[in-house]
Amino acid sequence: MNTKLKLTRGGFAWGDTSCNYHTGTWRVQRPQHEYRAAPCHASCPAGEDPQAYIALLDSGKPQQAWEELVSINPLPAITGRVCPHPCETGCNRGDYDQPLAIHSIERYLGDLAIEHDWAYPVTAPPADAPHIAVLGAGPAGLSAAWHCLRNGLQVTVFDEEAEAGGTLFTIPNYRLPDDVVRAETRRLLKAGINFTADFKLGREMNLDELQRRYAAVFLAPGVMKSSEWSIDGVTPRDLHQGLHLLKEWGDVGALPPMKTAVVIGGGNTAIDIARLLVRNGVDTHIIIHSSMPDPAHPLADDMRAMPREINQALEEGVKILNHHGIKRLLLRGEKVTGIEIIRMRKLPDDNGKLHRIAFDGTESILHVDQVIPAIGQIVDQQGMEDLVHGEHHIKVDAWGQVAGSENVFAGGDAIDGNGGTVTEAVGNGRMTAQAIAMKLKQQGLPVIEPPVVVHYENLNTEYFEPAPRAEQAVLPVAERVGETEIEAGLSVQQVEKETRRCFSCGSCLSCDNCWTLCPDNAVLKSKKMAADGSYYVFDYDYCKGCGLCAMECPTGYILMVEDI
Amino acid sequence: MNTEKNSAISIEQLRRNQPRFEGIKSGHRACLGCGQALAARLVTEAAGPDVVVANATGCLEIFTTPWPESAWHIPWMHSVFENAGAIASGMEAALKAQGKSTKVLAFGGDGGTFDIGFQAISGMLERGHNVLYVCFDNEAYMNTGIQRSSSTPHAAMTTTSPPGSERMGKRHLKKDILTIVAAHHIPYAATTSIAYPSDIRKKVRRAMDIEGPTFIHIHCPCPLGWGHDGANSIKVARLAVQTGLFPVIELERTELIGSMPIRHPKPVVEYLKMQQRFRHLFTTKDARAREELEHIQALADHNIKHFNLQGDTMDALDSDGADTVRRGGMRWA
Ligand SMILES: Cc1cc2nc3c(=O)[nH]c(=O)nc-3n(C[C@H](O)[C@H](O)[C@H](O)COP(=O)(O)OP(=O)(O)OC[C@H]3O[C@@H](n4cnc5c(N)ncnc54)[C@H](O)[C@@H]3O)c2cc1C
Ligand SMILES: Cc1ncc(C[n+]2csc(CCOP(=O)(O)OP(=O)(O)O)c2C)c(N)n1
Ligand code: SF4
Ligand code: SF4
Ligand code: SF4
Repeated sequence: MNTKLKLTRGGFAWGDTSCNYHTGTWRVQRPQHEYRAAPCHASCPAGEDPQAYIALLDSGKPQQAWEELVSINPLPAITGRVCPHPCETGCNRGDYDQPLAIHSIERYLGDLAIEHDWAYPVTAPPADAPHIAVLGAGPAGLSAAWHCLRNGLQVTVFDEEAEAGGTLFTIPNYRLPDDVVRAETRRLLKAGINFTADFKLGREMNLDELQRRYAAVFLAPGVMKSSEWSIDGVTPRDLHQGLHLLKEWGDVGALPPMKTAVVIGGGNTAIDIARLLVRNGVDTHIIIHSSMPDPAHPLADDMRAMPREINQALEEGVKILNHHGIKRLLLRGEKVTGIEIIRMRKLPDDNGKLHRIAFDGTESILHVDQVIPAIGQIVDQQGMEDLVHGEHHIKVDAWGQVAGSENVFAGGDAIDGNGGTVTEAVGNGRMTAQAIAMKLKQQGLPVIEPPVVVHYENLNTEYFEPAPRAEQAVLPVAERVGETEIEAGLSVQQVEKETRRCFSCGSCLSCDNCWTLCPDNAVLKSKKMAADGSYYVFDYDYCKGCGLCAMECPTGYILMVEDI
Repeated sequence: MNTEKNSAISIEQLRRNQPRFEGIKSGHRACLGCGQALAARLVTEAAGPDVVVANATGCLEIFTTPWPESAWHIPWMHSVFENAGAIASGMEAALKAQGKSTKVLAFGGDGGTFDIGFQAISGMLERGHNVLYVCFDNEAYMNTGIQRSSSTPHAAMTTTSPPGSERMGKRHLKKDILTIVAAHHIPYAATTSIAYPSDIRKKVRRAMDIEGPTFIHIHCPCPLGWGHDGANSIKVARLAVQTGLFPVIELERTELIGSMPIRHPKPVVEYLKMQQRFRHLFTTKDARAREELEHIQALADHNIKHFNLQGDTMDALDSDGADTVRRGGMRWA
């Protein structure tokens, strides 16, 4: 610095000297980075955080993306195919153009891991770690086992079947190929889960013995018993339950002979058995008193099956008689020849409770060879009678603990109030494994708080562009024969485009907006990740608190907070 | 990218290591959310270190040089309100005589450019000096307390164009300075807005590469003078472009050679209602208010037609596409 320079007052100043003055003293509010949960995350029953793994995928790190994904849900190739994806219903992008195809990205990552034989990331639990018993190798049991491992516990899964997978094998191959189930479950078991096949609770061992031998027991037996069905106490002699037929088809590849059939029920099982029958040349009706779902106008009495499945079934020739019920069976001897049907609806009474009303004068006859109930399943209580007390499901608290027993937990289809999806089963398994780990460390179980969610209004969507959602290729109806999977995965190019559509709700996108737009250079960019997980740091010496960065942050990651 | 979380990042070190050139440093005294401070930051960033600046009197000059401090990181000189064009011409001649290629920039507000400094600028352009003149247009004499200039838009309220029984804010129209400047037959004259930083950068780089007089006119919302929350400066600037009230265009010699198409023109009301300087247009009782709203809408429609701004397809460089973000900040290059 040339200090000899002599200039008059007001005539000269050294450059950069304004930095001596801290404009931060003017501030009455301060910008702050604040992670908030994306709605996709908040609405995933498994607890997945799509925002997080999409961000990794978008940054060119597919394996890390998969690892992030399976740190929550170890079965993404499976759920990517069959989950009703409430994440997409929640997705903020739905308010802008169309929701992200999260399930397709999930499936893509799952399939990529299968293709590359990626190992599940976990360190083996210590040899003296407590040992947990899991009953049932369906998605709930497998998820619980995986999360026990991740929590440093040893675990053995017991199942009466020879193979792990549970009801996943009953979902028809055209939607979920058995090979995919195997590719995922087998690799998962290899992560360090002990599996004991051909073990039936109540036959090999009773529940109290399991309880004695293991530090904790997680029950995930699914719902293996079909609900009883009759019309005014009458059932045909050769009655086949929908689920039973599906299993039989899976095991032996044959169906009883029939030309026409009516399937009763509006859930996944009803749709799947109907589609299987149509594929085998059977003229098939589904009869259900519920409404046909319209995603834009959800009703309380909507059919439970996924709209996508229902639409594909209709395309394939399944006929659905919604708002109908069966009044009477037409029998010749004990064999069905037809049914008398009547229009009916579920309507709310004075207290808003739904109940069924049949409309007199709307009766008609449908000629069928088979009546196939698919109206729901209940827990098979063999070996755990003391726990189920003759109920249809097992009662548990929010953490999955069975009331009145310290070390017995339950999850999946078997528990009361479960919606009967793979993703819920996975979520139950994860939460319960956490609960078990905490209990074994003598920690109390906290109240489960819903996360703070970033809403569409919190984003600045000026910075995004409309872009069509990636759609998976679906086989034309004529080619949907046999077992061939009808939906293909996305291509790499499609996935690249789709990940770029993500708004990164509530998490920094490293877009540089705040850094670029702060008039005071008060946002600094960092090569090292800051403590809050972003690569930007506020320079509070100079930040005047104008709020411009918060307003222009596309992801809602900057909040202004009072600072006086 | 280093993903190790670091709670002990030194702010001092970070300030020194920002991956960009900073022509103006922190600590300047601009208002919260000042559009002009942002614009000047973006211009000097894009122009780089090999420049000298001649600055007319006005907010920019005042808030960057609170004696004995200066926020400037580049050689900078202020003389008076009306002579930035003349000072810049002299600097350029002197540098030329020394055989130096340093680019001369001249900065002025709208008052200093449209009105009081205009003859010096006209002379500079006419003599063909190699100077990039940047006008930071906040649409009034802000530094002395919001007096109307010939850039103030029609019907806006300023302290010298108050709405009342005689008229609804400024009676006259905003001067079309770009056409006047281009009429000097200069190689490049363009408008741009702080809502589109990439556009500013692109135009500054373009002008820096041209040997001869060039002119860039930047729309800079002023929270104090326009009466909006400083947090909304970008939003207001964006709406000015998206309504057609501030056309973003490029002229070479006198020809229109480029414009930012407007994908979906927005009604001017959306822009006006965010600003207190137009609040008298939203009194329901006064019929003149309705007429003025229609008048302003007609001005916007005229701009859209005159400069052919209506976009026909989705364009990555139109008023909706030009600010699209990407992970990793690539778009601001
Ligand atoms: C036809 C059909 C289609 C479906 N489609 C979908 C769909 O598209 N999307 C979706 O999300 N969900 C679907 N589901 C539901 C989904 O399969 C279940 O929600 C999920 O499998 C439940 O997982 P779980 O682990 O609770 O039980 P399960 O998968 O049923 O596993 C239970 C396991 O416990 C074992 N077990 C039971 N009792 C004993 C015992 N006493 N001793 C030893 N082992 C025992 C069983 O052998 C089985 O392996 C469908 C179900 C069916 C039947
Ligand atoms: C000859 C002369 N007249 C008046 C002034 C007082 N004055 C100083 S700055 C200013 C307003 C500047 O307005 P503008 O050029 O639009 O820049 P802004 O402050 O709005 O950025 C005025 C009137 C002056 N300095 N010199
Ligand atoms: S836009 Fe991305 S982060 Fe936001 S809800 Fe949708 S998938 Fe999740
Ligand atoms: S834009 Fe800059 S000055 Fe304004 S609140 Fe953000 S960091 Fe602070
Ligand atoms: S503006 Fe962009 S870079 Fe800044 S916090 Fe928000 S998402 Fe991150």
